[in-house]
Amino acid sequence: MTAAEGTPKRALSLRRRLGIAMLGPLVIAALALGVIGWALISDVVRRTNDRVLGGALGAIAETVQVERGEVTLDLPPAAFGMLENSERDNVYYRIAVGDELLTGYADLPAPDLASLSTEEPRFRYAEYRGQRIRIGEVRRDLPRVQAPVVVQVAETLDNRNALRQRLMTALLLGEVVLVGFALALIRPALGWSLRPLAELRAAIEARDTRAAPDLSPLRTGPLPAELQPLSRSFDRLLARLDDATSAMRRFTADASHQMRTPLSVLKVQVALARRGSDEALREIDEATDRLERLLTQLLTLARADEAGTLPPLEQVDLVEVSRRAISRRIRQAIEADVELLLDSDEKAQFSVLGHRSLVYEMLSNLVDNAIRYNRPGGKVTVALRKDASGTQLIVSDDGPGIPAAQRAQAMARFARLQGENGPPGSGLGLAIVQSSAERLGANLKLEDAGPGLRVIVTFGQGG
Amino acid sequence: MRILIVEDDAPLARGVISLLRAAGHAIDHVASGEDALSVAATEPYSLVILDVGLPDIDGFEVLARLRARGDQVQVLMLTARDGLDDRVRGLDLGADDYLRKPFDVEELEARVRALGRRRGGDAAPEMRIGAMTINRSTGRVEVGERVIELRRREWAVLEALAARAGQIVSRETLQAEVFGFDDPVGSNALEVNVTRLRSKLAPDGPAIRTVRGVGYMLDRS
Repeated sequence: MTAAEGTPKRALSLRRRLGIAMLGPLVIAALALGVIGWALISDVVRRTNDRVLGGALGAIAETVQVERGEVTLDLPPAAFGMLENSERDNVYYRIAVGDELLTGYADLPAPDLASLSTEEPRFRYAEYRGQRIRIGEVRRDLPRVQAPVVVQVAETLDNRNALRQRLMTALLLGEVVLVGFALALIRPALGWSLRPLAELRAAIEARDTRAAPDLSPLRTGPLPAELQPLSRSFDRLLARLDDATSAMRRFTADASHQMRTPLSVLKVQVALARRGSDEALREIDEATDRLERLLTQLLTLARADEAGTLPPLEQVDLVEVSRRAISRRIRQAIEADVELLLDSDEKAQFSVLGHRSLVYEMLSNLVDNAIRYNRPGGKVTVALRKDASGTQLIVSDDGPGIPAAQRAQAMARFARLQGENGPPGSGLGLAIVQSSAERLGANLKLEDAGPGLRVIVTFGQGG
Repeated sequence: MRILIVEDDAPLARGVISLLRAAGHAIDHVASGEDALSVAATEPYSLVILDVGLPDIDGFEVLARLRARGDQVQVLMLTARDGLDDRVRGLDLGADDYLRKPFDVEELEARVRALGRRRGGDAAPEMRIGAMTINRSTGRVEVGERVIELRRREWAVLEALAARAGQIVSRETLQAEVFGFDDPVGSNALEVNVTRLRSKLAPDGPAIRTVRGVGYMLDRS
């Protein structure tokens, strides 16, 4: 496949991979089989032909007799008939008493008499008249004859070679067919093996709709063991996506829900203003402030919630951040007749690893809450402390506090506690604080300051 | 008429109160569901404007409990939620009407008026009693050719009596329907208003009779 300009580079197809992975080993196995087959075939061909040769030899040797002191023999034609074959191999023989030729081809290579057995015929290769031959030879010791009788029968190798070649050809042909068949099977086998993958893909594709994505776990038939991890990871991804989208949906619903009340206030007060109410303008002013604050807080919360976009950790000077948060809130404090002060050891360093903007937003919201839910003439203290557990940022106020039973609820989004008759809040302040603390790896604790609320943010030693 | 507003958001409650007070109604305000239930048990409200999102028990629960104890007071639900489900649920629980935030002021006023008319068993805005015509949508009162200008308390008294014309309305009921908790009420405020109303309707309008020791009655003819 030649990749056209601009098309993304593709990895080798599975079919090619499988083909490449299989072809090498298959060829090596075929070669090994060929070598072993050649050895086996040679052996079998040699043994079979030797047995025929031995048979002819035996038949001739049988006829060697001693008659009146003379060694005689009667060459049986059947013995040579045995050796006839389609390749018309030449057959030679030699029968000798000692070194003296009795009959046959005198120049047939003579055996080494001493090592020749009388029982078992011996076979060997030799060179005769320019051709390779196979000689079968046996020794007979006859009574009253001094020298041993040697019987030799030999044949050329054409038949043996032809037989071996035929068998080898058959073997090699078989191997080629086998390898070819195996390679040809790759495509259908792969198709069959990958069918569960196609089902999985169809199940995934079915989810890719624009309308309302279904994020429940995939419903497929039973999957092969190899695909189960894939399906499981996909399900986990879906579940995380589901959590994220439902959190987002809940947040949007909550946010729009939260805007409706101040908008209603605006509509009512605008109508009243049109009818000449003096109060209305002040109320409109308040309602727009409230909407503005809600919007700011929603954005802050969305930023605090945003995953994976934080810059690297940095050293945050808590004294500097506290001063800035306090100067941002000082006007608000003066208007609310609340004293705002920073309590920290001048000489000590209060530096933690974190994100400056998150710490600032967290502290700013804590101070805002403390001013908002305070009493006129009350006090808000931002204190910095160090102890064994780490560095602490403590914001305390003189307001009504939050009953222990409602503290967990207070941190939920849009939570507005019962019996709150003070200024309208969005119920987002503590949620922002909690979300920021979570992202900073800090511990958040609400305490009774008797009277008032004390919020303690503990930055661990490491962070 | 006398209206109870159940709304935990103080600025919104303030706005709705001024709006409806200007229309001549007597308004009470509570900020929680439990308070609403206890106040509604003792005061004869004609209408409860009930926010769904309350800090303790939600508006649906308040409505369900009201209906469970047989209270047939008219209920107008206010909600900041979007769903149709909520509206269906509210109406199924026995709400008389339903309004979504942010609402148009004119719509709120119109619905309050419509609910007020339905209370008298007669949803038509115009009502004739003898020579007098009352338009409960516009608040216009005519006797013969003469247009009667009424202060808002006088209107409240007339509306309460007209809804039960020909019947005696006890002094306590009338007092409760015309004045809210927070209205600065002198001991003879009701009598003062009745007397002024009576003189404005005279001579050709229907008479308001005092049934000594019991209450008041608007003549049908």
